[in-house]
Amino acid sequence: MESPFGGGASRPEQLYAASAARFFELLQGLMGGAPAGAPRDWSQLSAPLASQFEQWLKAAQSGGPWFPAGFAPAAASAGAAGGAGFGPLPLGPAAVPRPEAQRSWELLTRLAQLQGQLAVHWSQIARSAAERFVARAGTSAAVPSLEQSLKLYELWVACAEEAYGTVARSEDFSRLQSELANVSAALLVEQRRQAESLVRAFGLPTRNEVDALYGHVKELGRRLAELESRAQPRTRSARSKPRKPRARRRGGAR
Amino acid sequence: MSSPAGAALAELSARVTDTLARLTQLRTVEVGCSPKRAVFSVGKTTLYEYLPLPGVPPRAAPPLLLCFALVNRPYVLDLAPDRSLVRRLLEAGLPVYLIDWGTPDDADRHLELNDYVEAHLGGCVAHLLGESGRDSLDLIGVCQGGVLSLCYGALHPGRIRRLVTLTTPVDFHTADNLLSRWVRGLDTKLLAECGNVPGEVLNALFLSLSPLRLAQEKYVRLLTGRPQQRELEDFVRMERWIFDTPPQAAAALAQFVRWFYQENAFINRSLRLGGRAVDLRRIRAPLLNLYARHDHIVPAAACAPLGSYVGSTRQRSHEVATGHIGMYVSRAARTEIPSLIVGWLTGA
Repeated sequence: MESPFGGGASRPEQLYAASAARFFELLQGLMGGAPAGAPRDWSQLSAPLASQFEQWLKAAQSGGPWFPAGFAPAAASAGAAGGAGFGPLPLGPAAVPRPEAQRSWELLTRLAQLQGQLAVHWSQIARSAAERFVARAGTSAAVPSLEQSLKLYELWVACAEEAYGTVARSEDFSRLQSELANVSAALLVEQRRQAESLVRAFGLPTRNEVDALYGHVKELGRRLAELESRAQPRTRSARSKPRKPRARRRGGAR
Repeated sequence: MSSPAGAALAELSARVTDTLARLTQLRTVEVGCSPKRAVFSVGKTTLYEYLPLPGVPPRAAPPLLLCFALVNRPYVLDLAPDRSLVRRLLEAGLPVYLIDWGTPDDADRHLELNDYVEAHLGGCVAHLLGESGRDSLDLIGVCQGGVLSLCYGALHPGRIRRLVTLTTPVDFHTADNLLSRWVRGLDTKLLAECGNVPGEVLNALFLSLSPLRLAQEKYVRLLTGRPQQRELEDFVRMERWIFDTPPQAAAALAQFVRWFYQENAFINRSLRLGGRAVDLRRIRAPLLNLYARHDHIVPAAACAPLGSYVGSTRQRSHEVATGHIGMYVSRAARTEIPSLIVGWLTGA
């Protein structure tokens, strides 16, 4: 299932087509027939609706908005580093602890925990959305018309957004969002640190060194601007002072 | 499924397929319709002057500078001839200028908010004042660009003749501000250390504020409706704008999150830029504050109280019955908003 989250859809029309496909899937569920003559029992639709929505939420935002879009490559590489913990036996040079690998491993573990916590929220949102929908859909004909089904679709979106909004505003969900971003960022920084130690081995400048240089240049620029602004009024006042007439040499100095 | 319902579904399916085919043809739709020329630049920032419209007598007005957000491209203010705030301003004979912040790259990751406010925005203002020979200009700050404009106005009150803010948050801690809740616990030092933040991250963040409506329902509405060609083109233009998010300079974004979203620095009067206190009470210019009633990114409650924090004795607040995007492309954006702005800038 395509989703705009995380750059999954490379072309807009793929996004539109994916939305349409999902919509028709939902519509067919809504228009599906009930046993002959019986009014529609929406509670039967509750589980499939919730399941479909939960899957979409998971696919769309598996790690919150942060992780899939921006920092996934970092995590993947850090994962490789973290996996080194399962590699060589702690003998010989490998007996020396590698704190950076340990740190990556801890971060990955934390990320997995947070994603697990987020998954609980997705389930809760999906369940609550389906319950709201069933409660509000009321009774309808055994087979709703297309117009009725479109209205039901709008009702479903409203219920799903309400359920999402309630959870998204909660303290726990908000804390999770921040923490996911922080752990993702920490993984990226950790990965960079490991890459820098490799780069240093080849005698190449690292980002930290370039950053330090940049800071130095910026500070110099700031001081220069300060000096210039101090010097300008002095220059101006020096220029505006009437010049003393030069003392004429007297005598026959020619 | 009964046969009439099945036939209706088949008809709907054909309609959707047709709309999808038409959308495919619109991949290269044009944006930014009014002729303009670059007149000044600093870093990646370019100041553009819009060329006056033929046959429109120019007003003897100070330069009017549009300051847009860093997180999106400013061409949304000039999407198409009939969906262009810029054009409405030009039609009023105003001398319109626009700041385009460009696309920050890795070399810009240390850019701070102070650089954007003083060197970039300030540089553009200084250029325009120098060229026009005036002491002050009119400034329209949009969304995050409004926040930067408020900072600049507080630091240099004498240089702003009239100020207009569009969907500009001042109180970042209102109860309905979902974005603010989510980033409250963000480690901004770590964020800055990561380097520039890709635009995709911000897009994902904005979409996740209302995922089903923004990533599903709006497409379904378009596809199942019977959109005219023009409607389709406008939709694609807006899609292009929404997803055309430049990367954000790391230091500046981290500061923005920390000072505004976390510390609510305007309200707490704790903001300092370049060692100077940014006190909104120093803004004395007449202020027109426009914001959207149903804004999911910058809630109305975040914008509405601006008037009580500035020193402007002459001010007006106006809530527009639309959403965040509607401030740029709705019917209100075509008529109500430009007319309010032109009235404010040209009135006595």
